[in-house]
Amino acid sequence: MIWLAIAGAATVTFLIRSMPLVVTMRGRLPAAASRYLDALPVAIIAALVGPAVVAPAGALTHGAEPLAAALVIATVGLRRSLLAGVIVGVVAVALLRFI
Amino acid sequence: MSLLVFAGASQFAMVQLFSNQAPTAIVVASVLFINLRHLLMATSLRGQLRRLPVVGRLVAGFFLSDESFAMATGYFRRGGRGLAYYFTFAISLYVLWNLATLAGMVIGSAIGDPRRLGIDFAITATFTGIVVLAIRHRSDVVVAIVAALLAGGLALAGAPTLAVIAAGALAPVIAVVTRR
Repeated sequence: MIWLAIAGAATVTFLIRSMPLVVTMRGRLPAAASRYLDALPVAIIAALVGPAVVAPAGALTHGAEPLAAALVIATVGLRRSLLAGVIVGVVAVALLRFI
Repeated sequence: MSLLVFAGASQFAMVQLFSNQAPTAIVVASVLFINLRHLLMATSLRGQLRRLPVVGRLVAGFFLSDESFAMATGYFRRGGRGLAYYFTFAISLYVLWNLATLAGMVIGSAIGDPRRLGIDFAITATFTGIVVLAIRHRSDVVVAIVAALLAGGLALAGAPTLAVIAAGALAPVIAVVTRR
């Protein structure tokens, strides 16, 4: 039964990820749709970040994660360096959780 | 399981469901729901992956994950064009993820709580940085803030899976309405 569930899970996961890439559409996209698709990546990644910052491990944050995220935004915004932002974020969150 | 279902959150959910002896249909439906967000991600990558043959697109789909999507988006938004970046990152991640799964099986209990060191925040920090670098219009800033707050609120309300799908799908509507 477990193997059947794994096979089913593998199939739905693969279909979800590959269908939008394979199904083709004819014609040009309307302007509204291309504006939507243009903003979509930013929205998805921000939506992945939100819960990890506001509710890490499922419960309301004590403040370490939002503060560290603000430092990451400031660092990446000023330095344009992803690596610098990640280092600042990890060090900041470790220190802030310790306090 | 990790080799076939390359999907972190779903794998943790499946382990939990297996230990509760959940029916097969429930397990598959849960995985479907958890991974629905990749429907959005794949849709968003369509434009870049369109030049591949169908088999290449299927391979790209199999290796799609939150991380490879985020890194590839960051790359394309900085003006990158090649697809080697996506495949190198996505497949390396697949290999590392499975090696780490194996390592976890062997020595997992010896590690303790990773939260102590802040390592769990590395992915959050990376994604935050990618959002900052990916912003091109003023409306992107509003979209990002609304998506993050909406998803965070829904996660707090006890719907972490719905949070990403709903916030990711709804927030871009702001850009459609405001950008003329």
